[in-house]
Amino acid sequence: MEEKKTLLEIKDLEVIYQTDEATVHAVNRINFSLNEKETIGLVGETGAGKTTTALTVLRLLPERTGRIKGGQVLFRGENLLDKSVAEMRRVRGAEISIIFQDPMTALNPALTVGDQVLESLEIHNTAGKSRQELNARVDELFNLVGIPAERKTEYPHQFSGGMKQRIVIAIALACAPQLLIADEPTTALDVTIQAQVLKLMENLKEELGTSMIIITHDLGVVAETCDKVAIMYAGEIVETGTAEDIFNGKEHHPYTVGLFNAIPNLDEKEERLRPIDGLMPDPANLPKGCKFGPRCPHFTEACGIEMPYIYKEKEHRIMCNLFKKEAADE
Amino acid sequence: MSKDKEIVKAEQSKVKKKSRAQETWRRFKKNKLAVFGMILFFIILLVTILADVIVSYDVSVTQVASERLQGPSASHWFGTDNYGRDLFARIVHGARNSLLVGFGSVIIGVTIGGLLGAVCGYLGGRFDAIVMRILDSIMCIPSAMLALAIVAALGTSLWNVLMAMTISSVPRYCRIIRSSVLGVTGQTYIEAAHSCGTPDFQIILKHVLPNAIGPIIVESTMAVGSAIISAAGISFVGMGIQPPAPEWGAMLNEAKTYMTMYPYMVLFPGLAIGFTALSMNLMGDGLRDALDPKLKN
Amino acid sequence: MGKFVLKRLLALIPTILIIVFVVYFILDLTPSSPGQLILGQMATEEAVEAKNIELGYDKPFLVRYVKYIIQLFQGDLGTSWVTGKGVLESVFARFPVTVTLSAGATVIGIVIGVLLGILAAVKQYSIFDAAGTTLAMILASFPAFWIGMMLVILFAQELGWLPSYGADSIAHYILPWFTTACAFIASQLRMTRTSLLESIRMDYVRTARAKGQKESVVIYRHALRNALMPVVTMAGMNFGTLLGGTVTVETVFTLNGVGTLILTSIRSKDVPVVIGAIVILAICYTLVMLVVDILYGFIDPQVKARYIKN
Repeated sequence: MEEKKTLLEIKDLEVIYQTDEATVHAVNRINFSLNEKETIGLVGETGAGKTTTALTVLRLLPERTGRIKGGQVLFRGENLLDKSVAEMRRVRGAEISIIFQDPMTALNPALTVGDQVLESLEIHNTAGKSRQELNARVDELFNLVGIPAERKTEYPHQFSGGMKQRIVIAIALACAPQLLIADEPTTALDVTIQAQVLKLMENLKEELGTSMIIITHDLGVVAETCDKVAIMYAGEIVETGTAEDIFNGKEHHPYTVGLFNAIPNLDEKEERLRPIDGLMPDPANLPKGCKFGPRCPHFTEACGIEMPYIYKEKEHRIMCNLFKKEAADE
Repeated sequence: MSKDKEIVKAEQSKVKKKSRAQETWRRFKKNKLAVFGMILFFIILLVTILADVIVSYDVSVTQVASERLQGPSASHWFGTDNYGRDLFARIVHGARNSLLVGFGSVIIGVTIGGLLGAVCGYLGGRFDAIVMRILDSIMCIPSAMLALAIVAALGTSLWNVLMAMTISSVPRYCRIIRSSVLGVTGQTYIEAAHSCGTPDFQIILKHVLPNAIGPIIVESTMAVGSAIISAAGISFVGMGIQPPAPEWGAMLNEAKTYMTMYPYMVLFPGLAIGFTALSMNLMGDGLRDALDPKLKN
Repeated sequence: MGKFVLKRLLALIPTILIIVFVVYFILDLTPSSPGQLILGQMATEEAVEAKNIELGYDKPFLVRYVKYIIQLFQGDLGTSWVTGKGVLESVFARFPVTVTLSAGATVIGIVIGVLLGILAAVKQYSIFDAAGTTLAMILASFPAFWIGMMLVILFAQELGWLPSYGADSIAHYILPWFTTACAFIASQLRMTRTSLLESIRMDYVRTARAKGQKESVVIYRHALRNALMPVVTMAGMNFGTLLGGTVTVETVFTLNGVGTLILTSIRSKDVPVVIGAIVILAICYTLVMLVVDILYGFIDPQVKARYIKN
């Protein structure tokens, strides 16, 4: 096996949203890294901070409210948070691309889809390619995502949701980025289309050798596509590891256990699903100590006071005091 | 353990339940301009109510030949007009007319337009189509001209101006309210109410109105401002409330002849109209932001 | 597209029927004696009576209404009871002033309003935004005719830069234009700002930023184009409204436009002129809105597709 090179490394990243009403702690000191040609799945409920993490990597947080409080986003060893606006523009779309959740609104209704794909190419046309070459590349991209190139003169409203998502993918891949962030790329699509789009992304990833961050709340998607998984809860990564660790490992964070229990299982005959009790805490008013504490079946007094212990086993990390006891026992 | 969680849940929902009105008011208070508008409005309202205490009505209509066209001074704060009437007194007593026409026409207009609009929006179908067709046609008539024609037909009095303003504005209110009702009836929760077998009138009362009322209040507040301006315009071209009764627009009409020599005659009535309308517009703006904080960020 | 235009023009017919009915009905609330108006105060009672009968004024309202409509669709707007001139001719004699006034004000309103609106939206929460919204608030609150009078006092009386009345040259129009444009600037500014703020928040703007597009291009190419729709509607509506809403400004600057024509005709109960002028204004308004709708097609491909389909 060839040596893996680290592509993206996020260190102690902390992001808040500052509004007139409250300070929302969206991302709280998270760490993870991603190697070249690897895919990581960011899993969690709505509001866990997944999208915020993605937007931070591209520095696309809402200008007025979003604030990066600390940490680093190292992309090929360079901290993206130190880059100037102009430098950042050269990264966006060219080296790191993003696919947003809702294809219905992600495309500009007033421009033809071809122009929107072309726009990406034009912005990053450092090689000074001619118009014809760029247009040829647009055709190529359309074919790549499985849309006849003749349709590039049509407008977004003439396409179905799945087709639009393909166009969004074409835009994201236009400049052959090294990292592709897919923010719930299939959530807004029909189940049958979901599978198609996932397959397409998987194929393209193989073909182009792109690394990927897949943001999702669907563990099924993760199982199909990811090498690594990070489980997010209330702005923290509570458990991270290889897909193997998460799906077949012995030790898990109670939240991860809860997530798996909430999936219907066809093999076991159970009358009801077992949901996790309670709600995610208000990110403007997080509990002290372990954020999952109030909902955790293994809650102890210590959990309400100190930050949880971090269990380590190779690449597998779990933020939970359960394992502290074991560590002490051993 | 699970009991504790129940309590937590109950408290969470209690926090959420802090009524929408309270929540709106809390946000409204934070908006300095809106609060300024409100204070301004209360001052104007106070002056209107206490007009007779501040200065007697007689002063506003008494013509004093010896004191014609005097600039602002200690005895006549805003000066006097070409008949020697005290402009301060006329402005103080004119407030009542402006506010009456402004609020009266909007309240009546919104009520009539609202009922019609709500019924149209809710029933839809052919009835809605016909009513909208008619209203759209009427809206092609310039509303100033429509109001002028009505005043001309009915005669120039406070009530007729009010009536003219109301009639000429009903189609617009009806349209606005219909579209906000339509916006609400399209929502899933109305469908949910339908599917529970809730009777129509109860749905309108319990679900449609409370949810459509916000934008309606905002629109109405702003409409009072423009109604005051329009009514002043009618008087300004000489078709509204007639002198010697004090009316801001009519005062400007009289002032027109003297404006180059005696600009204060123009200045004060205009400021009175402007600040009254401004107070309503500022409040309307503040209310809109308070009702829908999403718009602000 | 042609079909769409034709459809809209045909829809004018019921509109005109309703407008004439409403205006005719209102003017008929107080009895009028056209004979007296036409023949003057000196005419004998019999002559007045005979003239009224000749004009059908002994007939009930609906009969006269139908008769008027029939004449109208033959292109005959009647003659003024007061001046004896053709209505169409009288209205068109006044039209240039009103159109010049409205068009100039519309252009000023769009240019200043949209530019300030864009500035306010792009630099939201900055001093530009605060200044712009405050300006809009003030312009929307103070009556145009009063602002006009203040402008006359300042620029014509005190500074002596511009003439204060009449319609002889461009200079004569400058004050009326800006006066009329005031409310327009306010509404355009607010509409542009709100609409642009809304579209800046749209997902496709984020997509454009994620492509690495420059902020100025993001605003201009992606946000502004989609924000223009309501701005164009508002501009059209404002122009349409202005055509019939300049009466107070015409009064301030003693301009002889359609507004003052209708006003004097309402005063003298010159029914044919009032109805004729209002019908013409309403037709203009409808045509302006039609042009707006066609303009939509150029801005929004979705709308264009709909037109072609219909």
